[in-house]
Parts: sequence; structure tokens; C-alpha cells
Amino acid sequence: MGLSLDAVSKSYGAQQVLAPTTLQVADGEFMTILGPSGSGKTTILRLVGGFTRPTSGRIGFGDADITGMPAHQRPFNTVFQDYALFPHMTVAANIGYGLMVRRQTKPAIAAKVGQTAEIVGLGGLLDRFPSQLSGGQKQRVALARAIVCEPKLILLDEPLAALDAELRRQMQFFLKSLQRQIATTFLFVTHDQEEAITMSDRIVVMSAGRIEQVGTPKDIYYAPRTQFVAGFFGDNNLIPGHVTGNGMVTTALGTMPIPAETDRRERDVMLAIRPEKVLLGAAGSGSHQVSCRIDDVTFIGAITQLRLRPAAAPDQVLTVKLTSDRTRLGLESGTVVSASLAPGDIALVEVS
Amino acid sequence: MPSRAERITDILLAILAGLVFIVLYAPLLISTLFSIVEVKRGQIQWETATLVWYGRLWENQSILDAIRSTLAVGVISVTLAAVLAVILALYVEWEGAIGRRLIELVVYLPFLLPPIVTGLALLVFFSGLGLDRNLLTVTIGHTIFVLAVLYRLVLTRLQTLPKSLVEASADLGASRWQTLRHVLWPHLRSAIATGAILAFTLSFDETLITVFLAGDQMTLPLRLWAMMRVGFTAEINALVTIVLVISIGLTILVGMRLQSDEVREE
Repeated sequence: MGLSLDAVSKSYGAQQVLAPTTLQVADGEFMTILGPSGSGKTTILRLVGGFTRPTSGRIGFGDADITGMPAHQRPFNTVFQDYALFPHMTVAANIGYGLMVRRQTKPAIAAKVGQTAEIVGLGGLLDRFPSQLSGGQKQRVALARAIVCEPKLILLDEPLAALDAELRRQMQFFLKSLQRQIATTFLFVTHDQEEAITMSDRIVVMSAGRIEQVGTPKDIYYAPRTQFVAGFFGDNNLIPGHVTGNGMVTTALGTMPIPAETDRRERDVMLAIRPEKVLLGAAGSGSHQVSCRIDDVTFIGAITQLRLRPAAAPDQVLTVKLTSDRTRLGLESGTVVSASLAPGDIALVEVS
Repeated sequence: MPSRAERITDILLAILAGLVFIVLYAPLLISTLFSIVEVKRGQIQWETATLVWYGRLWENQSILDAIRSTLAVGVISVTLAAVLAVILALYVEWEGAIGRRLIELVVYLPFLLPPIVTGLALLVFFSGLGLDRNLLTVTIGHTIFVLAVLYRLVLTRLQTLPKSLVEASADLGASRWQTLRHVLWPHLRSAIATGAILAFTLSFDETLITVFLAGDQMTLPLRLWAMMRVGFTAEINALVTIVLVISIGLTILVGMRLQSDEVREE
């Protein structure tokens, strides 16, 4: 059930913008497609919405094959990046458009529009025109217009990109709670990893027209499987290593056991460890100890960021994030500290 | 403060512009003047000033017929051209369109070619088909001639429409017809209206192509032409003045509409 993409690809002439891609989205899931521009994320959205046809492959919804179904017959609605509000229509007419083209009666449309406007917090603005609205209000009209017909799936194309930071955070929570309230599948496209982590049930990370990894936000965050994913999620520490075959990995920082339940084949890998998972001082049992010199200390408010240079490998930088503490002593440039890396916090990233 | 040299330049430019205007518009004013007063032995007879010639026009059946023909040809050909222009513009903007350049060439060519060539080509075409020349052939000729203007305005307007609006309409369940009616038409209608007025002005004045296609029928410019061969009368001047006033009026209307469109887009 749900939405399924089966080896779906898209090419424009000789240029392939989406390699054959297979993906399942469950009913009621908040699925985010995350990637930089040109990664193919918007192409997937447009293929699902029916705005372009795949070059090959099959798109299914429920039991039906919808590959060739025109956009206006698909039970999906889209929130466009530029909102695409009809400029010559009032807010009420914009929200009610989907009902109007389905030839519902005027009183029925008015009732449903009023109800939906309340849900998205637009009561009182129904007689305005889009040009008289702020960015956040336009956003809400676009949302209301997409949910009013009670679609089976809502597609959102970077809907928060044009909003300022504060409004964006508010809308993230609002979208998430709206999604729970109306219990509808959301397919959300963004290039903002923080947004993806905050809102999604699962994330699809894309790069250069391919899926890099599919997983829950925690999977993706703590256990990136490719170098791209590890790099895309901010400030992961990446350390080159070699798996030796006996369950150990050699790095410039020494040899340590590889995490349980990972591939033990001998090969080159990258070790990824989050800055907040590098611990200073007293280590738990089984952790790998690295002696480092503090290179730099930056106070960023809630956290303090340190840059460490391991004594064994002065070219490698370890970034560490600590909860800030006014009275923490001894963390000054030049101090030598012991950093510990717990095997459970290390992810092995395949080198392509 | 502008310097002395700048002020002199400004004054000279103003004089030059004034002269150009006089050269351009004086003959028109003279026509208007002569439709009101009589001239005898190079002297204007102010005491003969009268609007009687304008009244005479309304008693002249052949002129009334010509006016009726001109209006009929104008309205029908502009309507046809407007429908064609919208269809062509929609097709050319459609992503799967083939032969875009050819269509544009075919649309623009009759407008850009010397009218005598367009007129002659149409004449050869119609006589090849064995069609009698009458107001129908004139209407077809005018449709082809004014199509370029309407097409250009409609296409330009269509290109300012964000593609996402059409997609949003389809996304919300609207069929192509519903999208045309509820999204495209409201966006295009003022451009179509402006184009129609401009096209009507062109059709109203069109003489050369009409000469080839009219057969024994008369439009207003042809009637005027015919009357001038007999001699320059105050009646002719009155007719010229009427044609002038209508043409200038419509042109000003188009100018104002185009300007207000620009303001709205900003």
C-alpha cells in the first residue's frame, strides 16, 4: 500500500536527472526527500505529482498503477515552492478552487473553506487577495488549498525556503502537528537537513540523481552509510581507516574495534563520529583513548565547540561539542586532553 | 541648478520637437480646418465656417455602406484573429510544441511584408481558388494581417504567467478547460482586449491589402480613395477628420492600457 516508485527514472535528452529509483512511502508517513539542488529531489516530487512523466519505471499508489495518470486525476495535492496562489482570486476562492472545479455547491464550499481556514489559522483573511498577504500567510493559504480536498498524499516542494528563520521554525512544528491531525501522507522536499530531522518519520537523502540512504532521522544522523550523507549532515568527524578483517579498524588515531553488526570484510572506510559523541576526560570501558591538544575553543551559547589535534596525527582535526558550562576549567587552547571514542558511537562509512 | 549651456540645449530640443510635431500634424489640422471652412483664391473664408459637411456624410448612402462594411470586417476579422492568436500562443508555449519557429514566421510574415506583397499574394491565392472577391475575402485578408499583433500581445502576456499556476490548477483537479477558463483567461483577457483594439485600428485604416481583395465592395478607406479621385471637397476633409479622430482615439486607448499593464506588473 501507500506510494511506490519502482525503478523510476527521468532523463531530458541525454541527461539523466534521476537514476532508476525504487522507494516506498507508507500511508500516513511524513517522508522527507533531502538533498542539494540538482540531486533529483524535485524531480521525484514532480513525477509523483504527475507534472512530468518518467522515462522508465512504474509509479503505484495503493493497488493502482498511476504512472500515466494526468495530474488532475491524481488524489494528491501540492504545496508549491512559490505557493502558486491565483493572484486574481481571494483567499477564499484560492482555498476553495479544488472544490469549485469538482462542482460542489457554493454553501458546501464556503463551509469547508471556513473550516480549513480555521485549521491553518487564516480566519478573517478570506476576503484578501494574495498580494495583500505576508509570506507566512501565503504559505498557510497554499497549505489550506492543498488539504481542503482531503487528498491521500500531500506533496510539499521546499515550502519553507522563503520564510525567515523564526517563522520557519514555527511552520515546522505547525506542519508536523497538522500532518498528525489530518493523518495524511506527506512527501516533503527540502535541502535543509535540520528541517528534515525535525519533521520527518523517514528521510531519503539524495545526491546527483540517486538515493544515498533511506532511514529514520536518527539512522541518518548517527549512522550515515555513505560519505555524502556523513558530509551533508553538518560537522561529522570523518577519519580515514582500514578494516583489517579481524573486527578491528586501523586509523591514524590508532586501532580500535569496529562497531558490532557491521560488515567485517577487509576494505578502506571512513569512520564518522558526531562532535557531541567525542567525550573528554574519564572514558567508559571499551572506549578508544586519543591524546589531543586543544587547538581552539569557541563558545556558541548552549554549546561550546572545541577543535582538537590528536598527538598521533596532527593533520587530523577532531571537532567536539560540549554542553556549555560557565565554570568548566582547563579547556583552553594548548591544553592536552584525552578524548575518547566509544565503538557504539562510531559509524563506518563506505568509501566509493 | 542646470547650467546655461544645458538650458540652451533644452530649449533647442524643445523647439526641434515642436517643429517635428508641426510638420507631422499640420496637414492633419489643415484637413480638419478645411472640413469646416471654405477656401477661395487662396484665402480662408472664416465667415463660411460650418459643420454642414459632417451632416452631409450621414446622408450619403455610399459612405454609410462603406462605414458598415469597415465595421463588419473589423469586428469579424479581429474576433477571428483573437481566437487564432490565443490558440497559437497556447500551442507555442506548450512544452511539447513542434515547429515553433515556423509558426512564428507564418504569423509575423504577412504583417512585416510590404502590404502590396501580402495583398497581391492573397489575390493570387483567392483567384486560384476561384473565390469571388468581396467582403469575405477582405475579412480573411484582415484576419491574417492583424493576427501578428494579437498573437504577440497574447504570447507576451502568457509568458508572464508562472507555469506553477497552471500546474497548481491541474493539481487541484481542474481539467484543461477549467484551467483555461479559471486561470488562463483571467490572466490573458486584458491583453486580448488591448490587442483587439490595436488590431481593429489597423483593420479600420487598412487600404492596400483591401484594394486587392475588395472586388466591387467598398470599405471606408477605399471610399475615401475613390472620392479623392474626383476632387478634393470639404466632404472628403470631413471624412478624413472622422477617420483620424477614431484612429487617434483608439491608439491613445491602446497606449494607456499598455502603460497601465506595465504599472501593474511592477
